[in-house]
Amino acid sequence: MKQPLVVLGLSLVLVATLLATEQALPPGIMVLDARPAPELRLEDIDGKAYDLADARGHWVFVHFWATWCGPCRREMPTIERMTSALGDSPLEIIMVNTAETEDEVFTFLAVVAPDAVPLMDTDGLVTERWQPRGLPATFLVDPAGILRYLALGGREWDTAPYLAFLSRLASPEPVQKAVNGAPP
Amino acid sequence: MCVLAALLGAGLAWHISGYAGDAARPRPAIENEQIYMFLRLNSPEQMAAFYEARGFPREAIERLRQTCFVMAHVENRGQEIVWLELENWRFVATSGEIPRLDRQHWEDVWNEINLPQASRSTFGWTQLPEVRDLQPGEPVGGNMILPATTTAFTLEADFHTGRDKRKGMIRVRFRDLHCAQDKPVP
Repeated sequence: MKQPLVVLGLSLVLVATLLATEQALPPGIMVLDARPAPELRLEDIDGKAYDLADARGHWVFVHFWATWCGPCRREMPTIERMTSALGDSPLEIIMVNTAETEDEVFTFLAVVAPDAVPLMDTDGLVTERWQPRGLPATFLVDPAGILRYLALGGREWDTAPYLAFLSRLASPEPVQKAVNGAPP
Repeated sequence: MCVLAALLGAGLAWHISGYAGDAARPRPAIENEQIYMFLRLNSPEQMAAFYEARGFPREAIERLRQTCFVMAHVENRGQEIVWLELENWRFVATSGEIPRLDRQHWEDVWNEINLPQASRSTFGWTQLPEVRDLQPGEPVGGNMILPATTTAFTLEADFHTGRDKRKGMIRVRFRDLHCAQDKPVP
């Protein structure tokens, strides 16, 4: 009898936190219709396997990009600075290159974002499955693996409104615990 | 207020002369409180260089070289949704409408030459989407491809506005456009 009440309470906390976050969305952030994130299993440029399904329990920043895309070139350094500014935040940041070769990506990143270790969607099919509105695009996946937000076009991620938004998303313990089903 | 009325009132600001690929001349553009849009007409040589650099095979480059690339950038500067719908865009010459070589056309070509999936994906992302509900502040860019032509043409682009497409129409006309030509080899 006690357990349903706890679940109900935690669900209300989750909803309240999401609503509070949505009231203060920075420019260019769209609320999505809460569908499950598509599968995302790729290797990074160093050959290490990654599976988004293993990221349950924390928010994930999923960024799609390509070297030929002008806004991607402008946005990428802001993601590097954002990553640095967020420090030890539990927000996981992954970058998915769309349909390019290691040589193209390596040459580009050496100049634009030397610390990035992107996932390689070598045939572009994972990107197709996620259906971004264009490149670049960023999805925010919640701790339960649900698509919650989409960032339009290029964003200045290292500026105050975006850092505050991401910090709010990543920090509230009640949200993550509620999703995990752990006690408050 | 009716968007169309406001735009018609803007008069000549919406009728922009084209250019023939001369970098010294400004690219055709329109800008006001509702929309920012510009075109860039790239030569076959420029487009071949772009796709060659991304590993496209020779057969694909040869097909692309026989066409006319019109790159468009559209940005919603207003507060209402602006609907980019290419079915509401027309390329018109004095001899009639110039049909766009659409995604299905290219899918058929790529099947014919067995283009690798990675190149198909890259090609797709470099095309202007067929439909996009541009949110306030949202930009979009990409190519449209026409059969090569030496005649002047007009781009007539109409955009519905509002979530239900009932907040008026934005009509844009880019006149006297010319496909960019390769520079002659000296």
